[in-house]
Amino acid sequence: MLNIIVCIKQVPMVSELPWDSKTGTLKRELAEGMMDPASRRALEAALQIKENQGAHICAVTMGPAMAQEILHQAKALGADVGVLLTDKRMAGADTFLTSHILARFIQREYENFDLVLCGSQTSDSETAQVGPQLAEELNIPAIGYVSQIRAKENSVEAQRHVDDFFEILNMDLPGLITIDLSAYKPRYLALEGVEKAFENPDIRIIDAKKLGLDDSFNALKDSPTRIIDVFSPTTQNENRVLKGAVKKVVDQLFDEYGKVIGSAMGKDLKTHEHDEV
Amino acid sequence: MDFNPCMKHQLIRKTVREFVESEIKPHVALMDKESRFPWEIIEKMKPLNFFGLQVPRIYGGADLDTISYAITIEELSRVSAALGLCVTVHNSVGIFPILKFGTPEQKKRFVPEMAKGDSIGAFCLTEANAGSDAGGVETNAVETQDAFILNGTKIFVTNGGVCGTILVFAISEGKDKRNHASVFIVEKDRPGFSVGEIEDLCGMRANPVSSLFFEDCKVPKTNLLGRMGQGMKIGLTALDTGRIGIAAQALGIAQAAFESSVSYAKERQQFNKPLSKFQTIQNYLADMATKIDASRLLVYRAAACKDKGKAFSAEASMAKLYCSSTAMEVTGLAVQIHGGYGYSKEYDVERYFRDAKVTQIYEGTSEVQKMVIARAILSKPS
Repeated sequence: MLNIIVCIKQVPMVSELPWDSKTGTLKRELAEGMMDPASRRALEAALQIKENQGAHICAVTMGPAMAQEILHQAKALGADVGVLLTDKRMAGADTFLTSHILARFIQREYENFDLVLCGSQTSDSETAQVGPQLAEELNIPAIGYVSQIRAKENSVEAQRHVDDFFEILNMDLPGLITIDLSAYKPRYLALEGVEKAFENPDIRIIDAKKLGLDDSFNALKDSPTRIIDVFSPTTQNENRVLKGAVKKVVDQLFDEYGKVIGSAMGKDLKTHEHDEV
Repeated sequence: MDFNPCMKHQLIRKTVREFVESEIKPHVALMDKESRFPWEIIEKMKPLNFFGLQVPRIYGGADLDTISYAITIEELSRVSAALGLCVTVHNSVGIFPILKFGTPEQKKRFVPEMAKGDSIGAFCLTEANAGSDAGGVETNAVETQDAFILNGTKIFVTNGGVCGTILVFAISEGKDKRNHASVFIVEKDRPGFSVGEIEDLCGMRANPVSSLFFEDCKVPKTNLLGRMGQGMKIGLTALDTGRIGIAAQALGIAQAAFESSVSYAKERQQFNKPLSKFQTIQNYLADMATKIDASRLLVYRAAACKDKGKAFSAEASMAKLYCSSTAMEVTGLAVQIHGGYGYSKEYDVERYFRDAKVTQIYEGTSEVQKMVIARAILSKPS
């Protein structure tokens, strides 16, 4: 039976993102949380392996106390254990320290793991760095952007879509895989699952001390990444309204924008100008 | 006292919302337009426990608490009030009375199939001459040596066109020569049972509300629910639970109309500024939000009373009375804010407006709710 660790993250719900229009930043304290879509797919991949050949699934996340919600959700979906890594000293970690903390947890608590699954990238920061960095910290091989996993006894066969072809790779275990957003459509959660998850609501909570991090460890200060600016992209399109009789407007449209429209259509409109239909 | 929903209830809301937003929302307008019951969506709802919300696990249900049940109906109705209606009626007045008053044998016989969603429940009390006055029921049950023979016509039966297990209210003459009401469980394939024409109603058009006919419909004695003459008690108990569901349904409709109004008020420009900049519109939105919040607290209080095993009849009636009038007011204002577009089928608020009205009528009219509330007040020693 495979020992699988799935790294999941709570991200702000896309449909309810409260943006501060003046500063262009996200008001995180107002945002409803949800399980990041790519990590939910990583969990789905683990659940399918569990259903097909049996596995023990540990879902782990790092975040504030409210992130427990996605651990309950993971348990409701079928994860065996939920672990929350939380500490004021771990808040503000960049991807580098996040990978470091996750690796510490795995090394201390799940030494005999076979497979680590992550989403390819999270919907809130899109760096795609934590998975590969975590593999590096654990000194294990990794495959990114995987869409299909076939687990064997001591290895996995992973398929991914690259440009216009599929690539199939074999990897010895232990190893790490990040799951692509296009794969493993997550199942809906049955209401019975939610009720059951809260009947046995045990979530393991682990702080910096339990992870053996130095007393001086402070993620916010120690993170090498510095965010210089966060802003919403703005479009610079100029809108023009052509007014007047239809024929005049159409002529004007083609005179002024014929080239642009023609190139978008892949036609030289001038040569078609007098075609009779 | 904590007014914040706990993590479980938040997760229930998100779980239901995720499903209804992706699997139901894209089809709702057409379902309403074509008055079509969406069996293909029902198939997707079955494995997620929508049809066995509070049914114990031994019978295949999700065993939810009543607040979770109310949240489920609210979220479902926020997208499709017609499906919210189907699910709440099935669970509250379809299954619940069997769980509460049924024999162990009846529970085993009927509940698992209903909890799976393979047999949709209906509850029929209303007749041409009996509505708020349940004493006017004319459908009768005659006891023979081995069975009951039912004769009568029920009208406005929610889920009527798609039901598999029907709870029928009928009267029969007792030993005291007076009429007593009892409830009988009828399976749809019993000879003598038939479904009438689907009603052409103002709202809830995706729910096949219909008449049901019982013509010398013979049911075995094992299909009597509870005891002979216990009908009124079963009916009132079922309706108390049903009212929490209808209150939650009205709340969902109001919430949907409110959300549409907020986004429309921000988008729509008149006199070179968005509607949301006008104080009149702001007042409308403030009234809507306040009433919706008050409604929600009333629903959750009634649900919490039921979960604690306390009497909840008056609380359920207050929730149903207030939520349904909120739904009517809020959807009316939503149409007003949308102006001409709100009166058009192009916008969802037109449907919310039509769907809201019946929440003041079925499962006991607003006037009946006031009777229940007043009775509770006046029965207390002063």
